Amino acid sequence: MSIVEVQDLVKRYPAFTLQDVSFRVDAGRITGFIGRNGAGKTTTIKSMLNLIHPDGGSVSYFGKPLSGNETEIKKHIGYSTGAVNWYPRRRIRDIADIVKRFYDTWDDGAYRKYLELFHLEEDKTPLELSEGMKVKFNLMLALSHRAEVLILDEPTSGLDPFSRSELLDVFADLREEGVAVFFSTHIISDIEKCADDIVYISGGRIAAAMPREDFAARFSEAGETLEDTMLRLERGGDHA
Amino acid sequence: MRDLLRKEIKLSSSPLSFFFILFGSMFLLPGYPILCGVFFVTLGIFQSFQTAREANDLVFSALLPIAKRDVVKGKYLFVCFIEGCALLLMAAAVLLRMTVFLDSPVYRSNALMNANGFALGAAFFIFGLFNRIFVAGFFKTAYKFARPFLTYIITAFLTVCAAEALHHFPALGALNAFGTEQLGLQLGLLGAGIISYVLMTALSCAKACRRFERIDL
Repeated sequence: MSIVEVQDLVKRYPAFTLQDVSFRVDAGRITGFIGRNGAGKTTTIKSMLNLIHPDGGSVSYFGKPLSGNETEIKKHIGYSTGAVNWYPRRRIRDIADIVKRFYDTWDDGAYRKYLELFHLEEDKTPLELSEGMKVKFNLMLALSHRAEVLILDEPTSGLDPFSRSELLDVFADLREEGVAVFFSTHIISDIEKCADDIVYISGGRIAAAMPREDFAARFSEAGETLEDTMLRLERGGDHA
Repeated sequence: MRDLLRKEIKLSSSPLSFFFILFGSMFLLPGYPILCGVFFVTLGIFQSFQTAREANDLVFSALLPIAKRDVVKGKYLFVCFIEGCALLLMAAAVLLRMTVFLDSPVYRSNALMNANGFALGAAFFIFGLFNRIFVAGFFKTAYKFARPFLTYIITAFLTVCAAEALHHFPALGALNAFGTEQLGLQLGLLGAGIISYVLMTALSCAKACRRFERIDL
């Protein structure tokens, strides 16, 4: 079942254009959104969250357009990024206490579980956390309100290999619970480890959006890893 | 909206916004331009805008399950809350000077503006200017606040100067009325100040909501 549908998204900047971006994210599947720096991953994700205004196209969740159903839809979305530092001088406990009031699906049990799993201390402030721990903190907030779809912008960047592995295991567990996980990354091995589907963006255009096996069958040459394939595609611009 | 106000108070605000409410008690100071207290209160609110910007508050709020325009309404709610607290303090000071301290020599010999209904109405008006010029101006970009704050400072000080000067004109001496003298005039000017505050705040909030909807965060 398709949970998120992005259709013909267009966003024009003076030096960059996101052109006709279309893909879908299904329930109970992990979708890896891959592309090099500046390819349009964050612009796409921000459009999916109504943080920026596309010049064309649409984003819908659960069959409803985001525009006009923003409040209801956002209750079911979890978002995390490693790049932004929210309220750096407030305690984790205080931030969580405020956030929980906005979600009637907030699960204190899940909050405690991820607090422990991610080794987060409630009395610490985001300023006191390493980059990797900040990602975990953001992710913990997203997971604590039982989001049905998780949109994660570079969640594994800055994490050590052990934490990345733990995080990918968490994604796998969430997939079993029927959660749709959509995460952007430029770390191809993360996609290889856990993604069911690949959305590959290059130069502001979707070069491929398909199950990982289909992607490998279509683009990989004999003996190539996914990383080899991606590097060859990016160097050669052969995305068709 | 209650949750949004709680978020503003607990996460986004600067402690200075709350400390600076105490400047509302400057309405008790004799020989001092009392409307400067209004400016200091808004300076405290300005600090919260700085704190919130550094904490990526607007993006965080826009990701919460609320409409984007509600982020703006939450900010206005916080601003009005601080202004309301300061206005209560100012109103208490005005009442004290109109009653208990009515004949106090330090207030009677005060060359500057008296704390009365007109002064309180002027305070409402200056807070309205802050909301109209600074808060709405900030939401033009949701990032830059130097120009709107500078514009507000100039406008506020011109307003303070005008309010301080008016009662020195012979025909306008009634503006500096003591106690219940010229009560109708005082209440009328207070009412005018309240109406201007409500109008400037409501209209600027609607404008800021429209602007914020169009902004790419």
